[in-house]
Amino acid sequence: MTIQMFEKPLGMRDDFPFIAKKKAELRSNGTAIIQQAGYDLLQTPTLEYYETVGKISAIADNALFKLLDSQGETLVLRPDMTSPIARVAASKLLKEKMPVRLGYYSNVFRAQKREGGRPAEFEQMGVELIGDDSLYADAEVIILAWNVLKNLDIKSSRFVIGHTQLLQLILEDFGLDQEQIEKVHSAFVSKNSVGFESLAKQLPIEPSRLESFVGLMSTSTVEEWQQWIDPANTKQTSLFEGMKKLKTILERSGLADAVTYDLSFNSHMTYYTGLVFEVYGAGSGFPLGNGGRYDGLMKQFGLQVGATGFGLRVDRLLEIISADAEQENHTLILFDEPNEERAFDKAQKLRGEGVRVTLQFAPAVLAIDEFSALFSDVLRMEGAN
Amino acid sequence: MDALTIAMPKGRIFEEAYELLVKAGYDLPKELDDSRKLIVEAPNENIRFILSKPMDVPAYVEHGVADIGIAGKDVMLEHDRDVYELLDLGISRCYIATAGMPDTPMNEVTPRVATKYPKVASQYYRGKGEQVEIIELNGSIELAPMIGLADRIVDIVSTGKTLKENGLVEYEKIVDITSRLIANPVSYRLKQKRITELVENLRKQASL
Repeated sequence: MTIQMFEKPLGMRDDFPFIAKKKAELRSNGTAIIQQAGYDLLQTPTLEYYETVGKISAIADNALFKLLDSQGETLVLRPDMTSPIARVAASKLLKEKMPVRLGYYSNVFRAQKREGGRPAEFEQMGVELIGDDSLYADAEVIILAWNVLKNLDIKSSRFVIGHTQLLQLILEDFGLDQEQIEKVHSAFVSKNSVGFESLAKQLPIEPSRLESFVGLMSTSTVEEWQQWIDPANTKQTSLFEGMKKLKTILERSGLADAVTYDLSFNSHMTYYTGLVFEVYGAGSGFPLGNGGRYDGLMKQFGLQVGATGFGLRVDRLLEIISADAEQENHTLILFDEPNEERAFDKAQKLRGEGVRVTLQFAPAVLAIDEFSALFSDVLRMEGAN
Repeated sequence: MDALTIAMPKGRIFEEAYELLVKAGYDLPKELDDSRKLIVEAPNENIRFILSKPMDVPAYVEHGVADIGIAGKDVMLEHDRDVYELLDLGISRCYIATAGMPDTPMNEVTPRVATKYPKVASQYYRGKGEQVEIIELNGSIELAPMIGLADRIVDIVSTGKTLKENGLVEYEKIVDITSRLIANPVSYRLKQKRITELVENLRKQASL
């Protein structure tokens, strides 16, 4: 393969100035909201060990960028932010301050196999709330995600909420073993109704309960979940009561119309152990972000604590909000040698007044008219005037 | 009422699916006079149809330019796309099978398989523990065994007529195929009411 001079590795992108600018705005808007909610921002290294973060991240092995360090250890470019933050939280430094609230805005790397243009490096913005296993923590991160989106002027966002643990208990109630449950899970993750219905017929489910089982896939309110809750099963009832409570909190916070409760909603990220959610917005064909409770992941770092969080994909947010390209004030001062001093003073003065000023030596510009067209104001300080 | 964009394959599947929608009570234009049109509007239902190549429907839906689409299961198996598979429409029923010249075993040295479905074929033979060389072709797959390019083909069989006319026989059936109603995950959530309504209406027709 010959590589052209201007080519980049598969899935890598340049951010041109107008995108970089949008991103910077998005970053400062988003992180301000996150900090306001009591979260501290942190940064973790770009490279992590494959053995720890790489394996725990739940990102498919073939999507990891791997390399070797000088000791022969396998490293990965971090594929997500949740596992590095879990690693940090598990270290001594933060253990004593539980619950900790950490926020981030970082790039992550996932190798792309299909259609080379898909980004293999993208930014994520999110939070992790570690050391709190109450449903208030779950509600907090959902409301925070909602507020971040609202602040970015994304009005039509919609959350879909599921509960992996409750779903697991309900599936066990149908008499399924773990292997069968996995099959059901994968049909749920891809929302494959056709596959699920034909799978349902092969599973050892009492014929009288088959219809109820198939109904698992089409719920949209918490109330609908009740039909599968066994009143004698205290674990189920307490989780269900928790969901009802969560719904009340979310409604009180103004999310009533923005949430769908889908019992079959599930994530391909296997580390989620409780509430899971995904968020969508009009304008992007792909989810804007997702989140949920991942107590199991903390356990892998040797910490028996609850943790929950969300991550938003900055590239997808940009897709939605970049529609309005407002014209900003940007003054160009073109000068020649005799006017050098005057031009420098003028630029400094204007910048002092808050105006964005580009100072350009006129003879160095090849096409004055085309160049000038890029600015909202042009001051020419040339010749004897 | 949310606007709905539906991606459909041109040709037979479109006609069958269109008829299914009309039967399900959707008020669609009666005459589709210009068959070369790529976009068909049904203003009374606020529906827009995009007519594309069958192989491309899942791509339109995955990217969300079409909210829902109708795609053959064969295409979905071959192109693993992130779309929700909501309903088996039961139309365009056929299956993928292996075929070849009568009474010919696979070449032991270099077993070759010609197909339009390299992924499906490779998965099938790997699943059987057989190592074969896959040759991807874009059409007239039946030619391959006739002229000695491959020992087997993996292709769609609906009536078996094409195989017969070319002197080929079917060997193994791989998987049954029908057309499916698929949805973009985001559209499914944002336009849930309209989409589930459509699924239910079509389900009634499809099961008849």
